Order: sequence, then structure tokens, then C-alpha cells
Amino acid sequence: MTTLTVPLKNTESTYLGQVRYALTFLSEDVVSYDISESDRAVHIRFRPGVDLDAMRARVETLLRRYDHSEFGLKSVLHFANKRDLPVIDAWAGLVARRWATPVGEGHVILRGPAAQLLALVDQKTQSVFAREFEAELELFPSTIQSKTLDRCNHYTSFPEHMDFVAHLKQDLEILGEFSQACREQGWSAGLHDGRMGPNDFAVSPSCCYHAYEGMEGWDLEKPGRCITAILHCHRYEGANHRYMSRMRAFTMREVIWVGQPGYVLASRARAEELMQKWAIEWGLSCSFETANDMFFTDDYSVKASFQRQQEAKRELRLDIPFEGGSISVFSSNFHAQTFGKAFGITVGGKPATSACVGWGGERWVYALFSQFGFDIDGWPSALQQEYKAFIAREAGS
Amino acid sequence: MDIDQLKQTLRHHVVQHYNIPADDAEFTDDVHLFDYGYVDSFGAVDLVGFVETSFGIKISHADLTAYPLNSINEIATFVSLRQRGEL
Repeated sequence: MTTLTVPLKNTESTYLGQVRYALTFLSEDVVSYDISESDRAVHIRFRPGVDLDAMRARVETLLRRYDHSEFGLKSVLHFANKRDLPVIDAWAGLVARRWATPVGEGHVILRGPAAQLLALVDQKTQSVFAREFEAELELFPSTIQSKTLDRCNHYTSFPEHMDFVAHLKQDLEILGEFSQACREQGWSAGLHDGRMGPNDFAVSPSCCYHAYEGMEGWDLEKPGRCITAILHCHRYEGANHRYMSRMRAFTMREVIWVGQPGYVLASRARAEELMQKWAIEWGLSCSFETANDMFFTDDYSVKASFQRQQEAKRELRLDIPFEGGSISVFSSNFHAQTFGKAFGITVGGKPATSACVGWGGERWVYALFSQFGFDIDGWPSALQQEYKAFIAREAGS
Repeated sequence: MDIDQLKQTLRHHVVQHYNIPADDAEFTDDVHLFDYGYVDSFGAVDLVGFVETSFGIKISHADLTAYPLNSINEIATFVSLRQRGEL
């Protein structure tokens, strides 16, 4: 194994998490890496035979993304509710109880109380948020046209986590060869080489893109409209996959507003209030703070620092003592006219603005078991009562 | 340059640079340039540069966090106070 050490010259401590996240996408020859804050350096181990000079240049290019910030790194804690928590390895507990089973990198099957808890969280988003905003239910396909993501500027911000899909070519010989090879040797990834059609669809990396695509060319009545949808999304995370805090396949519920800026911004603010109320009711140990997306391109600093400066993204983060940190389970996002312009959606003749709030289902499950453990009778009373009422309703139906 | 001249210079730049139609009734000196989609993140980089160059001031990261600089009025007020040494 070959090791490379590159000093962190200008990277602020605030950005080390982003550097850590990004390093997995440096090269497929990376075996492992760590960031040492004591000697302020990145240490990367590669497969033998790698061109170290080329890798050093890549690392330095990557680090340059994080050595400045056009608009500063605004950090605002809007709300916090802290409690003493035990240290619980929720993932190990879920697997041991067979409430969760890993089925491939970043993929999981949930059952029993884990599945019920995800359903309860989702039901609460509907009974509280969808009702408050009279959100119209829309049902989206799991895959989305690759060209739609291009129009959403997704590839210029997050190319690294795309999971494109493709089918075998419509070719009798290719289909026959593939089938025969599987019969004789079993499936292997190499059988795809040269046999796949175009990647004209991808598994949707986010829930709300379909909403904008579906309203293309619409002129909305003032002040706008609210939508709710749930979708199984995919984001490839390389070495960053972690059960169940950073999944490749995960469930996302969203409430989305499209319309006049005043309506959209007021609705987003109200949703954030409701979310904080919910966090207190359930006794969650959490914080609600300014955030930025992990933009994975060289214009990271402009996009991320502007997003923070404008508070275009805020997150509810639940504490996970076992991980020594917290994970985002709810995000609130304002997009200005980005999608209104991209899809020609107008309100009163002007490009519509949009915002969305989203809940990550598996993360909620993981965080709740991490904070409160597996003895449901020991959970905070409101959460316990709602869970038991949900189970009773399900059993009754 | 008094504050009205500052506003006029800013308004002219924003209208020209960000292609705002002359009949846009929502575009006023109080409108939030970013929330209302007149200026995006890359436009904001240009706008900060324009303000620094045109009015001979520096805008720091701390300024961007401490002072609201989202509308023509807010930017003009900030520039005026900074030029007078009051910020």
C-alpha cells in the first residue's frame, strides 16, 4: 500500500468535515484516509502502483475548494433542546433484533418497530404539516429523467452521488449472451460491459424535482400551491455510507411550496416552527441550525457560503452519542426562482419561487433508537403514546 | 455621493446587470434581491465586487453576517455609513 500526506494549509476547521466527505471521491484507488487535526494534514492510503504525483495534484485541487469562502461561514443556532443521553449502538441493536437487515451497500430492510416508527414519523408529517398547509398529495416515480436533473443543475452541484439506471440493449444477441452467461457462471458486473443502453434515467436523488418537472409551463394562481410526496431516493456516498445515518437508498418525505415569495417564505417559516414544536413534544435532543449542502464542484465556496449567508438551508440535527455527533433528520430549503425559471413555472406572470422541507425516514428511525433505546416503555411519554396509538390503529385496521 | 445618488447608481447597475424589465412593479428599493430571485449566488459575488470598486469600501465576511445587505436600500445605507466611518 502507498501512503500520501498532504498538508492542510488554508482549510478552516469548519470545513474539515466537508473535506473528509469529499476525499472518498478522489479516486477509486483510495483504500482509506484520515485527517489529522494535530499535524493538520490529510493522510491517504492507495492501492499499489498509483501515480502519487497525480494524486497529490488531485488532493490539492480538492483542498482549494475549501480554502476560501466568498460570503463567510455564517453559523446560526436557531434552537436547541438538549438532554443527557445514554450511548446506544442503535444499528447493532436493530440488526440483532432483526428489525433491520442490510442488503447491500447503504441499503436496508426495516421491519417490526423500526418499520412502524418510520411509518409513524411519516404519518406525523402528514397530520401536522400536510394538513396545516393543505398540501396536495402527488405520487412520483422513483426514477427521474437524466435530462430533468440537468435542468435542475443537479450535476453542477452533486455529480458524485448519482445512481443512474440503464437497461440491457434491445438486441437479441446481447440479451441471449447475457442470459446464457448468467445461467452458466452467475451474474457479475462485468457482464454489463458494452451491453447496456443509455442512462436516460436515474434514481431520483431528491423528492421535489418531480414536483417542478410536473408543473412545467404552469401559471399558478396566487399565492401558489403546496404539495406533499414521499419517495425512495438514492445517493451514492462511496466510503461515507453508514448504517443508518448515511444511506445510499433512503426514504424522503417532502412538503413543497411553489408560488409568490411571501407565501413560500412564510410557509417555510411556519413549517420550521411546527418542527421545533414537534422536537420539544417528543423530547428530542437536538439543534436547529444554519447549514449548507455538500456541493461537490469547484464552485463549492460560492454556493455553500452564499447558502449559509442567505440561510437558504436550515437543518434539525438529532444528537447521536454513539457517533459522537449529530445527524440531520429534517431540512428546510429555499430555492428562490431556481426551479421556477428552469421549468417556466410562473405565478401572476413572474417566475415562481419555491421552498421545501424534507424528512429522512431511516435517519429518524436510527436517531430515535439511538437516543431512547429499545425499551419502548422507557421512551418520552408523548413519543411513546403516539407510537402505541399508531400500533393500535394499525392493528385495528 | 449622497444616499440618493448611491441608490440610483446601485439601482442602475442591478437593472442593467441582472436584466430586470423596466415594467417590473415588484422591483423596488426595498425588495429582497435574493429571495425574489433578482440576483443569485454568482450574481452576489459580482454585486459585492461592484459595490467595493464603485464606492471605494471593503465588505468583510463579518459585515455580510452582521448587516442586512439584501436590498438597494440596505446596501446604500451600509455604504453611506461605511464611507462616513460610522461602521
